[in-house]
Amino acid sequence: MILVVLDHDTTRLRKGALEAVSRARQLAALGAIAGLVVGENTSAVAEEARKYVPTVYTAEVGGYTPERWAAAAYAAAQKSGAQVVVAPSSRQSRTWTARLALKMGAALLEDTLETATDGSKITATRYSFLNRVTEKQAASLPVVFTAKPNTTPVAEPQGDGMIEALTVEQPAAQVEVLERMSEQKKGVSLSEATVVVTGGRGLGSPEAFAGVEALANSLGGAVGATRAVVDAGWRPYGEQVGQTGKTVQPSAYIALAVSGAVQHQAGMNKSKYIVAVNKDAEAPIFKVADYGIVGDVHQVLPAMLEAAKKLKD
Amino acid sequence: MVALKSHNMDDPEDWHKASPYKMKGWEMKFIAILRQVPENEARLKVEGGKVGLNGVTMVLDGMDEWGVEEVIRLKEAHGGEAVVVALGPERSEEAIRTALAMGADRAVHLVSEGYIDPITQAQTLAETVLEEAPTLVFTGGQQADWDSQALGPALAEALGWPSVTWTTKVELEGQTHAKAKHDLDEGQEIVRVSLPAVFTSQQGLNEPRYPTLPGIMKAKKKEIRKIPLSVSSKVEVLEQTIQERSRLNKVIDGTKDPVAAANELVKLLHEEAKVI
Ligand SMILES: Cc1cc2nc3c(=O)[nH]c(=O)nc-3n(C[C@H](O)[C@H](O)[C@H](O)COP(=O)(O)OP(=O)(O)OC[C@H]3O[C@@H](n4cnc5c(N)ncnc54)[C@H](O)[C@@H]3O)c2cc1C
Ligand SMILES: Nc1ncnc2c1ncn2[C@@H]1O[C@H](COP(=O)(O)O)[C@@H](O)[C@H]1O
Repeated sequence: MILVVLDHDTTRLRKGALEAVSRARQLAALGAIAGLVVGENTSAVAEEARKYVPTVYTAEVGGYTPERWAAAAYAAAQKSGAQVVVAPSSRQSRTWTARLALKMGAALLEDTLETATDGSKITATRYSFLNRVTEKQAASLPVVFTAKPNTTPVAEPQGDGMIEALTVEQPAAQVEVLERMSEQKKGVSLSEATVVVTGGRGLGSPEAFAGVEALANSLGGAVGATRAVVDAGWRPYGEQVGQTGKTVQPSAYIALAVSGAVQHQAGMNKSKYIVAVNKDAEAPIFKVADYGIVGDVHQVLPAMLEAAKKLKD
Repeated sequence: MVALKSHNMDDPEDWHKASPYKMKGWEMKFIAILRQVPENEARLKVEGGKVGLNGVTMVLDGMDEWGVEEVIRLKEAHGGEAVVVALGPERSEEAIRTALAMGADRAVHLVSEGYIDPITQAQTLAETVLEEAPTLVFTGGQQADWDSQALGPALAEALGWPSVTWTTKVELEGQTHAKAKHDLDEGQEIVRVSLPAVFTSQQGLNEPRYPTLPGIMKAKKKEIRKIPLSVSSKVEVLEQTIQERSRLNKVIDGTKDPVAAANELVKLLHEEAKVI
């Protein structure tokens, strides 16, 4: 049995959830699939989920805490007898799955690119050493793993499953949320975008990001930022790319006035094409760039925007 | 696994009653877990299907360094002890000495060669942490070699403690609680957490100090308690490869005619790379 923990926004399943279902289907040798919808307002999402998996468990436990999610997933794994638990990879899931693995006495495979089984083991590939090394890992069951976004095609609906509500013993509250500063973004999400346009400190001001946004919009992409930019308060943290930000792997990564520090590269070095604009021909970003312009971003960016607009017309 | 029951937020002394190792009085103790990893700029090589670390400069993990700095600052502000705990091969002692030279008081080194997965690392470290009975523990947000984010939350689970990941600010509220600010997938959150708790570090937490010469001298005399272990990993690493994409490196000079350069670049992206 395989349990998929289905990520959702309280009204719909997220794309990552459907990728995780595909991952579970690839492990058919381990038996049937059950899904878990955990959180608030789980019933509407469960209706959607039962189109994808034969059994849907719901756990109405309230807002997210890692302890609650781990407790709910543990209850669902016990109920279904699952030896493998799959979840889409995010900061949040990489926290609660660590707790779940301990509860289940399971091995944890984090942020996997591909997964397979021979019936008794799971093998997985993932990146290590700041995204520079690709490694193949193996672990005997039970296994908990997270699936990196955009590595698996989304699942197609298949049949209509049944829904079963679980009662989960609530862990004692040890963390109280006093304030949440959420960054609700319009447009394409950074982790899922096929084009990312990132601005660095060399743009000189938060105002200069209007041009970055305009280029991202005209290419149907998302805006990214370096740590230097986020630290300066020019852009929200959710846009940071790198070791301590997000890891992205778009078809085109366009870095504008970004030096290309190793810690930044850790978040984008697997992009299909890397494009750089920098006034310093010696900037490290050019070493990993496919295309680039040595020049002043304030002159090059408006011209790129014009050219991109002409393409669309 | 270490069985320490979850404590109750309404009864801050509950944990101390539950702990088999009672804290002596109300003395504070802050622990940072640390690991030694290749330097960020190090050129990695694969030998026989595995990353070979021979000849590679090894350093205290940058994310752990923030944790070490934070426990030293907490100790400076509140008194008590700043202790570092490492699980790793003999060579990790160098990274431990760095932390002691920064100002940590003493160290515990669980000496174990070879790869250990983060869940097993957490279970192994939990016993030492439990014995030390600290006020709080810091780990790095992500390991720079194994790119794992699991150690902090897994350690908290093994201890039955709360965890706060990607922490950018911590303030103690007496002995029983702390207020912390931390990063989420999108945005941030301010939380109040009962102590003891495990925090993981994030950039912005602090600016680590450099070890001073007197600090380095003093560190030589500080205690490192060594505990040899043999731990088996739940996860086996079968093969490692370095697949750096070969990049095209087509760089256009845009210093004289930026508009022409921009047009050419957009054309290349559209017609050659076909990505826009
Ligand atoms: C443990 C650790 C983790 C980190 N994690 C991250 C992370 O996740 N993400 C991240 O981004 N950083 C991270 N950093 C920081 C990283 O090391 C760099 O400091 C940061 O990426 C630099 O950002 P930048 O490129 O915007 O700024 P800079 O390095 O200052 O580069 C600015 C660039 O703009 C160019 N420029 C200036 N003016 C112009 C102009 N008019 N036209 C064109 N080009 C111009 C300059 O030539 C320069 O190359 C981390 C650091 C540490 C220690
Ligand atoms: N990401 C990783 N996962 C598993 N093993 C690794 C990883 N990185 C390095 N290793 C190997 O683990 C061994 C640990 O070596 P040492 O810590 O020097 O005893 C070395 O052979 C490394 O190549």
